[in-house]
Amino acid sequence: MDFNVVKAIARRELSSYLGNPAGYVFLTLFIAATGAGAFLQEGFFARNLADLALLNKVMPAILMLFVPAVTMGVWAQERRLGTDELLLTMPVRDTEVVLGKYFGALGVFTVGLGFSVAHVLVLRWLGQPDLGLMLSTYLGYWLIGATFVAIGLLASMFAGNATVAFILGALGCAGMVFAGTEPWASGIVGCAVFAGLISLLWTAVQGNTEGAGLLGLIGAVVGVLVWLGGAWKGFEEAFGKLGVDQHFYGFGEGVVRLGDVVFFIGIAAVVLYLCVFMLGRRHW
Amino acid sequence: MSTNAASKEAPPGDAPVTIRVSGVSKIYGDFVAVNDISFSVRKGTVAAFLGPNGAGKSTTMKMLTGYLAPTKGSIEILGKNPGDHGARLELARRLGYLPENGPLYLDMTPAELLAFYAEVRQLGSVNKAIDRVVAQCAIQDVFHKPIGKLSKGYRQRVGMAQALLSDPDVLILDEPTSGLDPLQIREVRKLIRELGEQKTILLSTHILQEVEAVADSVIMIHEGRLVFEGSFEELDEDGDGDIERRFYALAGAPLDDEEDEDEDEHESEAN
Repeated sequence: MDFNVVKAIARRELSSYLGNPAGYVFLTLFIAATGAGAFLQEGFFARNLADLALLNKVMPAILMLFVPAVTMGVWAQERRLGTDELLLTMPVRDTEVVLGKYFGALGVFTVGLGFSVAHVLVLRWLGQPDLGLMLSTYLGYWLIGATFVAIGLLASMFAGNATVAFILGALGCAGMVFAGTEPWASGIVGCAVFAGLISLLWTAVQGNTEGAGLLGLIGAVVGVLVWLGGAWKGFEEAFGKLGVDQHFYGFGEGVVRLGDVVFFIGIAAVVLYLCVFMLGRRHW
Repeated sequence: MSTNAASKEAPPGDAPVTIRVSGVSKIYGDFVAVNDISFSVRKGTVAAFLGPNGAGKSTTMKMLTGYLAPTKGSIEILGKNPGDHGARLELARRLGYLPENGPLYLDMTPAELLAFYAEVRQLGSVNKAIDRVVAQCAIQDVFHKPIGKLSKGYRQRVGMAQALLSDPDVLILDEPTSGLDPLQIREVRKLIRELGEQKTILLSTHILQEVEAVADSVIMIHEGRLVFEGSFEELDEDGDGDIERRFYALAGAPLDDEEDEDEDEHESEAN
């Protein structure tokens, strides 16, 4: 692996995004949405606490929509222009391309999150926020974003165009936002994971995507049978563990648990591996 | 038709084979895009990959660059298999590629684009390489203008500059003159002839006159199958000088095809 190549691709991605007025519109919307989440909610002033507890509740949902909007064009754009062919025939490895794209999009998200630190300045003006708590909360936000960027990138590789990439990415992130909130939500996420894994496995064995949709449907039905048929008692609990909330909770309380950090980075790594797999698909 | 071919040197018959394609097929489900083709190109040769649109030229070129893997058969470029993971990277450093329609990042300027590809290719002397290709492709005037605002001709030249950046031994050019005006076509052909003295070039085209203007050898495919391999002169099998008729016979198209007539007009302007 050559990190100079990863750096070159990431820098191009970042400058392409930040050199585009649409990029700033998204950033502005992000600041506005997080600002509203932090301060414009009922009870912020009544609580009389200088913290981001109210934002923490809605942040995963904001990121679920914001991050796929950043990543939707990453691969769809390359495919539309035809530049993916040129990039993949350069002396670069598929892993370097995926990581370059990932770090580029993560850079855009990090810039957005960086601007939102303004909320902490507002808190300092209003009261005396605990800076350690702010730091751990922001680390949590960043880790959620790092996981969602990977999911959005995978969606961008799956989809033929940016709109579909956004919808798929938002659905993927939504799965992680809603898992663990209610038993039925965890069950549905479990069925979706079943569907995804079976259609992916089919694609890998068969060598092309033909029939993958049908297999996905069969996977979902199998998931429903396993879940509601009672074959696996811990179904809801197991898939509920994929939920962002329970892993983010500690960060919002000022506690950084190694297990939570590993969870976010682990999910991102698995999804990025799937991205490399998707890129290799062209050889089939 | 003009006869630029007459001024070209004869292809070096004993030069080593740079590109060797043996029994290659590419099959998508039920559709056979490329059907069992074999050909070879020697070092220092400009080979024209001729065939009507949809004949399988681009698919074959994608396989040569390692972007796609053949379903059957083997490919060897500079003695290496582009489908082999380790060899592909080494080969990619010595290969320049201009894909069909010259895809480029429209938000970048040629200066930024060439710097980006130089970085991705890990070139040692970046400025020298960029200066060389900018001069070769005559893009000084648009060097700092966004590619999205450039004309098709300039974009194609920026695409050529990108392909030449690493001073590659092998150049694969997919329709390098498509969308250019007659004057630009002449300039690009001149550049290809100059480059062809040192490098191995495979360029695809569906225009017969292009072959005559630049190529030492001709590889013609039709509906995924190889229908001719040899020199331009050998294309004139019966010696009556009517190469066009042979071309259309091989391409399975009637001579009075309207579209082809348009191309002929366009081409005669270029020559």
